Amino acid sequence: MKKILCNLLLNALVWLSPLAFAGPMGFKESYMSMGDFSTNWREGFVNYAFTSKDAIGSEAVYMRSDDKSLTRKAVGLTYTRLAKRWNMPEAQANIWLLGGVSALKGNDFQGTRTLFNPGIQLDYETTRSYLAATVRPYRAKGINHDYASVRAGFSFYEVSYDQVQPWFILEARRMRGLSEKTEVTPMLRVIHNRYFIEAGVSTDKQARLNFMYIF
Amino acid sequence: MNRLVKKIAMALVLVALSSSAWATTTVLTVNGMVCAFCAQGIEKRLSKLPATKAVFVDLKKKIVAVEAKDGQILDKAKLQAEVKDAGYDVVKIEDTPRSLAEIKGQP
Repeated sequence: MKKILCNLLLNALVWLSPLAFAGPMGFKESYMSMGDFSTNWREGFVNYAFTSKDAIGSEAVYMRSDDKSLTRKAVGLTYTRLAKRWNMPEAQANIWLLGGVSALKGNDFQGTRTLFNPGIQLDYETTRSYLAATVRPYRAKGINHDYASVRAGFSFYEVSYDQVQPWFILEARRMRGLSEKTEVTPMLRVIHNRYFIEAGVSTDKQARLNFMYIF
Repeated sequence: MNRLVKKIAMALVLVALSSSAWATTTVLTVNGMVCAFCAQGIEKRLSKLPATKAVFVDLKKKIVAVEAKDGQILDKAKLQAEVKDAGYDVVKIEDTPRSLAEIKGQP
């Protein structure tokens, strides 16, 4: 019975976790929810910024290998730290430190393992251009699903604060042990002062949807 | 009679001057404000201040204008602290007698 309840909770968190995606935390005393959804990688997380530089939260991740033989589900806690921010007149750059510890289940082992997923993200943004790089090891006993991604993009035009701004974003990412390929996804990003949405189709014809909301 | 007219005129001038002083707007020049989604924290935090009537964010000019409620005074140190907590840096702060509508309408 306990096992069934745990599985139900795990599935609920994976599939129903608050959705959204972006800079890994909002402003002081805000909640941010993020989601990153594709066929083989689904991630949702929500965190609360208790200072202007620190946030704690929870996340749920579902991973599947390209050949569909391996699946992973992890639910755990996260800590996000804005290690350094440069606020310039026409740009902003950040170094983010990410920490996470989760309970991991997989279809190729029994029981639950402890998954550690620390990480670092660097980004640079102006009103017209965007660059980011993320490295996030996903490690548990006998498991290595390290994740790395780079993103670059540009906005089609400048907008005022309350207008919708469309961007073109190109992302390349790798997930060790799940895929031997580099997944490349061109995406349309739409930013408004209330929401952030990205949608695209990878070169392997897999749909992708990311979004983020601060409340 | 002449004296009465002068007194009324003087009173009207004083009222006009004082209501203009009540409508003070504070303009902050902010570094790092490049994205509307990220800058929403500035608007939300400043809007919650008790003396705030309205907030206007201009990404192109990199300014945030805060209009005070009638008869209230905006605390500049508090405004700067709120912008800092939203993740940005204030590089200049000044009061202006212009209303938010006038600032919005300025090309």
